[in-house]
Amino acid sequence: MSHLREEELVEYFYTRDDAGAPAGRHVADCVECAEAYAALRTDLEEMEFAQPSARDADYGERVWESLAPKLQAYPAPRRHWLRSGFWMGLSYATACGLLVTSAFIAGTLWEKNQTHPVTATTSASSAPKEKVVLVVLGDHLDRSERLLVELKHADVDSAEMVSPLRDEAKSLLAANRVCLKSATQGDDPELKTALDNLNRLLDELANQPEGLNSAAIARLQSEMNSDGLLFEVRVLRSRIPEGQSLGSTGAGGGKI
Amino acid sequence: MVRMGKNDHAVIEAVLAGDKEAYGALVVRHSESLFRVAFRITRNEADADDVVQEALLRGYQKLASFRAESNFGTWIYRIAVRCALDRIGRRKVDESSRVSDETSPELQEVQVADWAAGPDRLLLSGEIGAMQETAMHSLTATERTAFVLRHMEDCTTEEIGAALGIGPNAAKQAVFRAVRKLRARLAVLRVRT
Repeated sequence: MSHLREEELVEYFYTRDDAGAPAGRHVADCVECAEAYAALRTDLEEMEFAQPSARDADYGERVWESLAPKLQAYPAPRRHWLRSGFWMGLSYATACGLLVTSAFIAGTLWEKNQTHPVTATTSASSAPKEKVVLVVLGDHLDRSERLLVELKHADVDSAEMVSPLRDEAKSLLAANRVCLKSATQGDDPELKTALDNLNRLLDELANQPEGLNSAAIARLQSEMNSDGLLFEVRVLRSRIPEGQSLGSTGAGGGKI
Repeated sequence: MVRMGKNDHAVIEAVLAGDKEAYGALVVRHSESLFRVAFRITRNEADADDVVQEALLRGYQKLASFRAESNFGTWIYRIAVRCALDRIGRRKVDESSRVSDETSPELQEVQVADWAAGPDRLLLSGEIGAMQETAMHSLTATERTAFVLRHMEDCTTEEIGAALGIGPNAAKQAVFRAVRKLRARLAVLRVRT
C-alpha cells in the first residue's frame, strides 16, 4: 500500500478534508498517513499571521482623493464613419430631398391656386366669346333684315324668288337658334323677344309643308307681323354700330 | 464626493466615455478588499497602501482592455496580486543585497536560532508570530503569494494560477513548496513546545 505524498496531503487539506475523495479514504484507512496528515493540519492551523488593522469607512474615499489627480480622463469615443458620417450625410441628403420635394409640391399647388382666378377672370369677362357673339349677331341681324325685306316684297308667283327665301330661312334658322340661346343666357329681354319671334318666322318659312306660295307668305306676313319684326331687327341692328369693338360693349354677356 | 449606485460595468462605460470621476465609485467599492490581499502578500501596511494605489492606477490605465463579460472585482484583484508580487520581489532584491553585504549565510540561521532560543520566552513575548513572519519572508514571491491566496484567501489553484500568470499545476506546486518551507522553518517551535 503506497502512502500519500506530502503534496497530496497538502492538497487534501485545502480541499476541506473531503472524506469522499480518494485521499480522504486513504487517510481514514492508513494510520501512517493519518498521523502525517494530522501533523500537517496542526502546523497549518496554528499558523497565525498578522492581520491588517481595519480600514475606516473613508478609506476608499481617501484612496480616490489620492489617486484622482494622477488620472487623465479617457477621450470621448469618436464615432465610426459608418455610424456617424455616413448616416449623418444620409440624413442631410434626405432632409434636402424632402425640402426640394416640399418646395416643388408647394409651388405646384400655389401655381394651381393662382391659375384658377386668372382663368375665372378671363372666363368672367368672356371678351373673345362676346366679341364672336356680337359679330355673329350683327351678321345674323343683317341677313335676317334682308330676308324680311325680300319677304315683304316677294313675288309669290315666281318660283325663282321663293326657293332662295326658303333656303335662306333654313340657313338663318340655325344661326338664330345659336343667337337665341346666347340671348337667353344674357339679360337682354328685348333681344331675346325679337330673336324668339324671328325664330318662329324662320321656322315657318323653312318648314312649310306645302312649300312657299302666295297664300303662305300672305299668312306669314299677317300672322307673324313680319313688318313689325323687320322693324325690331332694324332697331336691334342699329344698336350694333358698324366696326364696334368688344371693349366698348362691356361685359354684359350678350347685351347690346 | 464619489457617486455610487451604478454597477461596475455601467461605471466602466462611463469612465471610458470620458467621465473620469465615475472611476471613484469603483475605487471606493474595491479598495478595502484590495488592501487586505495586498497586506497579506506584502506583510506591510504601507506597502499594501501603495499596492492598492498602484493596482487601481494600472486598472484605470488598462480599463479599455477590460472585457465586459469579466468581473471587475476579480480583474482588479489579480492586478493587485501582481502589484504586490512585484513589490515583494523588489523588496527581496533589496534585502538580499543588504544581507549579502552585511551578513554571512549562517547569519540567518543564527538569527532564527536566536529568536527561537527560548520557546518560553518566545511564547511569553508573543514572538512566535514574528518568527512566522520571518518564515514567510524566506519564501519566494511566487510561493508566498500562492500560499497567501490558498491559505488565507481561499482561492482555488485555478484562480491562483490566473492571478500569477501560471498554470494551475504550477500554482499547486508553489503552494506545496511554500507549505513545506514554512513547516521546516517553524519545526523548531513544534519540537520545543
